[in-house]
Amino acid sequence: MGTIGATLLRAGRRFVSSLPALFGVLVFTFLLMRVLPGDPAVFFASGPNAGKEEIEVIRRQLGLDKPLPNQLAIYLYDVGRGNLGRSMMTGQAVAKDLKERLPASLELTLTALLIALVTAVPLGVLAALRPGSLVDHGVRLFCSLGVCVPTFVSGLLLIYVFYYLLGFAPDPTGRIDIFATLPPSRTGFLIIDFLLAGDLDGWWAAARQLMLPALTMALFVIAPLARITRASMLVSLGSDFVRTARSVGLSWWRIVVTYALRNAILPVITIAGIVFSTMLGANVLVEKVFSWPGVASYALDALLVSDYAPVQGFVLLMATIFVIVNLLVDVLYGIADPRATVA
Amino acid sequence: MSIEMSKRSLFAATALLAVTLAAPSAFAQSRAETLRYVTGATVNTLDPNIPGSTREAFALSMSSYDRLVSFGRKLLNGKWVFDLDTITGELAESYSVSADGLKITFKLRPDAKFQDGSPVTAEDVKWSLDRCVTAPILGKAQLLTGSLTSADQFKVIDPLTIEVTLPKPDKLALPNLATVYPIIINSKLAKAHATAEDPWALNWTKENAAGSGAYIVETFKPGEQVIAKRNEAWNRGTPDKPAAFKRLIIQSVPEPATRANLVERGDADLVIDLQASDVQSLEGKGKLKVISTPQYNAVTFISMNNTIPPFDNVNVRRAIAFALPYDDMFKAALFGRGAPLYGATWADGKPPSGGYPIPQPIKLDLEKAKAYLKEAGMPDGFSTTFSFNVGQAATAEPMAALVKEQLGKIGIKVDIQKLPDAQMSTAINEKKLPFFIEGIVAWLPSTDYFYRNFYTGKQRWNYSSTDNAELEKIAQEARFEADKAKYEEQGKALNAIHFDQMFQIPIWQAAQDAVMQPTVDGYVYQFTRQVDYRNLSRK
Repeated sequence: MGTIGATLLRAGRRFVSSLPALFGVLVFTFLLMRVLPGDPAVFFASGPNAGKEEIEVIRRQLGLDKPLPNQLAIYLYDVGRGNLGRSMMTGQAVAKDLKERLPASLELTLTALLIALVTAVPLGVLAALRPGSLVDHGVRLFCSLGVCVPTFVSGLLLIYVFYYLLGFAPDPTGRIDIFATLPPSRTGFLIIDFLLAGDLDGWWAAARQLMLPALTMALFVIAPLARITRASMLVSLGSDFVRTARSVGLSWWRIVVTYALRNAILPVITIAGIVFSTMLGANVLVEKVFSWPGVASYALDALLVSDYAPVQGFVLLMATIFVIVNLLVDVLYGIADPRATVA
Repeated sequence: MSIEMSKRSLFAATALLAVTLAAPSAFAQSRAETLRYVTGATVNTLDPNIPGSTREAFALSMSSYDRLVSFGRKLLNGKWVFDLDTITGELAESYSVSADGLKITFKLRPDAKFQDGSPVTAEDVKWSLDRCVTAPILGKAQLLTGSLTSADQFKVIDPLTIEVTLPKPDKLALPNLATVYPIIINSKLAKAHATAEDPWALNWTKENAAGSGAYIVETFKPGEQVIAKRNEAWNRGTPDKPAAFKRLIIQSVPEPATRANLVERGDADLVIDLQASDVQSLEGKGKLKVISTPQYNAVTFISMNNTIPPFDNVNVRRAIAFALPYDDMFKAALFGRGAPLYGATWADGKPPSGGYPIPQPIKLDLEKAKAYLKEAGMPDGFSTTFSFNVGQAATAEPMAALVKEQLGKIGIKVDIQKLPDAQMSTAINEKKLPFFIEGIVAWLPSTDYFYRNFYTGKQRWNYSSTDNAELEKIAQEARFEADKAKYEEQGKALNAIHFDQMFQIPIWQAAQDAVMQPTVDGYVYQFTRQVDYRNLSRK
């Protein structure tokens, strides 16, 4: 009980201390967007007859005619009330857009991370058990390939083989077959919503849709995870406590999994946390290739057309998620290595 | 007992079999009655008047709203395209233009109903047109081009008659009412959602369609998809029937290669924005129907800012016009898909027609280019930048490389500048780019319209920053010229000035490649450069 309380306290303290950083991110993105060349008013006044007057109307609508400090004050006030502004691109409130799109990104990223971990940790362990062997080289080759091929190439390749040639995969257009009926939205995660609704066919359809993009993303991140597992396992396997465990005749499984792996897992958790945050924001290519309605492709589209509010909202969201993921990693440290709680 | 059981289970099994067999065929049937259209762009509003509306939003509004009138269609080189000269009634059963051309009277269809079942009245028409010329929306600038500027011009005569008054006879007034913006809105419904700050209910119409159109929007997810069902009561199509497809799916698929796969596998029915290389290969395989229509109301330019040195020198502009590798660019960028606007021969150097755009007598001729450069006093060339936007990189990138290579041969050093779309439009608006690729499009493509909008004034669309008093005078006169022969002469004069001054170089009209399943029928190239879903049916 005491340790859980301490962990929570520590998490809470960490969260509070990250608030100034979040505020900094908010102000910085706001200023950065306005420093970038590219005037949203001009871009969006692009009807075949839009002239000076239309541009001025849009500028007024966006509040861009006010001085910068005023704009910032208004923005901060709005963010404080949970209003992230309105996107010109989609015509919707940014908070609503992000709320709809975040579950899509999270579902994809979490699945990809799960696939990557389930593949990478055993691969890393295998490689570490026989360093220099054929298995080790095989793992190394696989990892190098995964990291060398850019995600949009592997994505298009997977689509070509599994959708176009073999026809196993459903058409790569978003989270669910366009003709299917959606379950009532409870969590926003289709996989969970279908289960809650008891619709197994729907669940299977959503899972199939998820498979290719998740694989594409997983391929790219297996390498860092497997390499770090291998390196950390090597250290762990060569340490005194494993030698002792071996000498007292403990079973192979106990030595490798309970003693070596548990001690080796800390850096893997750290990397997994970083990988997750990066994937969530940087998987824009995968989202584009698979028409996945996620937050990253949303932010990129907005950036290209200088649509300020969505980009600012996206950066704020990412910063918040980064803080939360780091907290989570901290908590996991405590579980993996009880000494971390004291430190 | 056991026999009873087996009978029952046999019955159950048969029923189950019947259900499983029936399910796919019911699905197949609904699939055949559904049009699935995939696009790289997205519908961002249900009201096409909202500033920032995308072209896909325009296309949807053609089906979700009706206008008073609509354009007919004609065959151009064997392909159906919209016809500016045939204007038929849509919500108007008939219309008449007074002898002096100052009054247009519309009789509304007595059977026309909004999608909520209430009748379409002259009051609704008046409110909608008033909104179009009064509210701060896109329709205002468009209707201005047809002398429609004030709410006083629209008068309700009786519940089914409305009269439009013009300050002078303007031949673009009627066609303007067939464009995207003057949608007829259910005014009672819209007024119920109006507020003090938003008297025209713009915030509400952005996300709610309140029209009488052929399709009723069911799901609207900006950036993802729009699903609409057929309005069974709609009879404004040419054959007085509802639209052919029962359901319409407009889906955003950003990756062009994926769109090509979808249509090739038969999962999508129609796509119009594939990469030229994909169209080429799909056409080669011969399984799909490909209709390529040169976008005859659009032009791609290599533009020069006539106020930035050295492009303020007419001989420099002429030198560029004779130094570009037109054929190579046409092949590399478009795979030859489109209508070239170069390489013509004009007998005795005079423009053969008063249309716009017409093929120019320019071609790659380095000797001539060098001579012009010498005349400009720059025999050794100069340095400049050449810009294009990221959104057009697929076609513009190979063009830019060829321009750089070719101009290098006459001593002009070119730096290629690739700008994000918003930056590019800002730079063009501020007249900061000396030399760049850009395109124009006109919904109502007449010669005077092109010259008035794209060659005059300090506004964004005057890419070349042309300021030519003679050109402006002729174009303004031509606007209200009723005599066809005179208009043709004015057009020729404008074309002659354009060629002589070489403000910018029209290079081609890219084709719109509509790739569709062989069963899809009725495709017409529209002024919006989008699909009008009401045209389509399945054989």
